Amino acid sequence: MAPFTFLEDIVLADAAFEATGDSPSELFESAAQAVIETLVDPRTVASTWHRIIERQDDDLASLLFDWLSDIVYLKDAEGVVFRTAEAVVSQDTASGIWRLRGALAGAPIDAGRHSLRADVKAVTKHLYEVSRGERSGKETWLARVVLDI
Amino acid sequence: MQLNTTMAVNRISDEIWEIPVSEKPGMLVPARIYATKQILTAMDSGVFEQVTNVACLPGIRRHALCMPDGHWGYGFPIGGVAAFDPREGIISPGGVGYDINCGMRLLRTDLTLADVQPKLDALMTELFRKVPAGVGSKGFVRLNRQEFDEVLRKGARWCIEQGYGWSEDLQRIEERGCIAGADPSKVSAHAVERGIGQLGTLGSGNHYLEVQVAADDRIFDLATAAKLGITGHDQIVVMVHCGSRGFGHQVASDYLKVFEKAMKRYGISVKDQQLACAPFRSPEGQDYFTAMNCAANSAFANRQIITHRIREAFATVFGRSAEELGMHIIYDVAHNIAKVERYEEGDLVVHRKGATRAFGPGSPELPDIYRETGQPVICGGSMETGSYLLVGTDRAMHETFGSTMHGSGRTMSRAQAKRSVRGEQLQQRMAARGIIVKAVSMSGLAEEAGFAYKNISEVVETVDLAGITKKVAELRPIGNIKG
Repeated sequence: MAPFTFLEDIVLADAAFEATGDSPSELFESAAQAVIETLVDPRTVASTWHRIIERQDDDLASLLFDWLSDIVYLKDAEGVVFRTAEAVVSQDTASGIWRLRGALAGAPIDAGRHSLRADVKAVTKHLYEVSRGERSGKETWLARVVLDI
Repeated sequence: MQLNTTMAVNRISDEIWEIPVSEKPGMLVPARIYATKQILTAMDSGVFEQVTNVACLPGIRRHALCMPDGHWGYGFPIGGVAAFDPREGIISPGGVGYDINCGMRLLRTDLTLADVQPKLDALMTELFRKVPAGVGSKGFVRLNRQEFDEVLRKGARWCIEQGYGWSEDLQRIEERGCIAGADPSKVSAHAVERGIGQLGTLGSGNHYLEVQVAADDRIFDLATAAKLGITGHDQIVVMVHCGSRGFGHQVASDYLKVFEKAMKRYGISVKDQQLACAPFRSPEGQDYFTAMNCAANSAFANRQIITHRIREAFATVFGRSAEELGMHIIYDVAHNIAKVERYEEGDLVVHRKGATRAFGPGSPELPDIYRETGQPVICGGSMETGSYLLVGTDRAMHETFGSTMHGSGRTMSRAQAKRSVRGEQLQQRMAARGIIVKAVSMSGLAEEAGFAYKNISEVVETVDLAGITKKVAELRPIGNIKG
């Protein structure tokens, strides 16, 4: 199964996707990659810029929302587009708190070199959902996200 | 009549339709949609659902309204207008949108198509160089935090003080380009970091800069057109559609989060999470209002810096100053904003989301030059079709809180548009029709193809027939810059 699929016709003027993973870490990577690919063709972006993001939240859906929002923020604040996103997500068994350590790699925006796509304004809460399920006896995680373009 | 809703939709007139409060639990006022039968039939189900959700919000007055270019949006429908009592009503970022003070600006020139056609390619190349567009683009104005705070407080007035425009420009901008009560201490560091480098940039999506022609046969009211600066004879004008860029997007995102928590505290429940709101007079409501005003001012400043660059580009290409070329602003209007305005009921917090202010003749808020004509209203069509210049009416003041439509609205998803045409193909096809397009993103260009949008002329006819704005001129594109 592809790590993410763009959903058509949910939002005419914007972009929506469904991301999946066998673990929260995979889910966070898949969803981040979908945001990255909305902005740019990552194959045209080098990895000359790096950023580590650490966050925690007692709600996994909120943690994912903030992680994706970080990507949108860094695109403008740092003037970069991205090639890859890696994520390690774990839950503290005692407190139940979810922790994220994410690593973004990319490069300063260069319209001549990068195949730029749509500028994302925001991650929205419209139809936003993070769920845990099972596929062929294996745990699977799914997120549905709508981006304002 | 087959509509995309099971709710009762009653005819008030040929252009006004009403959904009574009995159609959804919690509705405090009826919802009214401005549309011809044909437009109403084509409206998506989201419009009916969302305009009736808005009708449930605390403190709403008279009606929840939707204009004929209405379609599904986040929280409010695009094309949504609603007014709330400031004492018992709310303010909602969902009624403004992520792109705070996204709006339209129109500049006139003394040039004609015959003057511009031979140099059109050079002009579009120069405009493309001078006005950055596309993902994360940065402008030429370098500011420190203190200077950026001044932009947020003063809006377009800051630009004029810095030499990016003419002093006469201000009277030709809604609110004279500066909304009072903008407090930069109420915006996050993230918002500032996103926006501080982006003044004078277009962005992407449906934002554009367009060189257009006002032909004699597309002027509908010669006397009013002349008073607005439209002289016809294939006159060249320039239209800009953009907003507050990353700064405004972050303000909206920040306060949606604040309001989600505040709603619990104030015991407000809403039908859609994107309608998160707070009482207007609450600390959260006032903080958002003042932060939103900062974003609105940054958008006025953004369009002012772009105007400065457009004037420079024309001066370079035509070898005459912008003053000699008669490059006056016709008007600048916001179509994503919330403002306190006075109506029969007293002061109201009017939300316009994908809707334009359209004050009628004699309104004290209008500058002397437009007191007689009514406020100019600028409505952008798709990049392949025309756009319109209209004027506000008395009727809008009584019926729609001085509001009207803003554009054409999509009918096709971005993905479907991309499957239907490639950006390069579209660029060639438009060139063959005499429209030069410069785009940062070819996939983004394909997404904005004309066939992905409603026919703007039908929408304009509706507001004209309903009498809430009167059409003045249609403007045909010959050059377009996209992000």
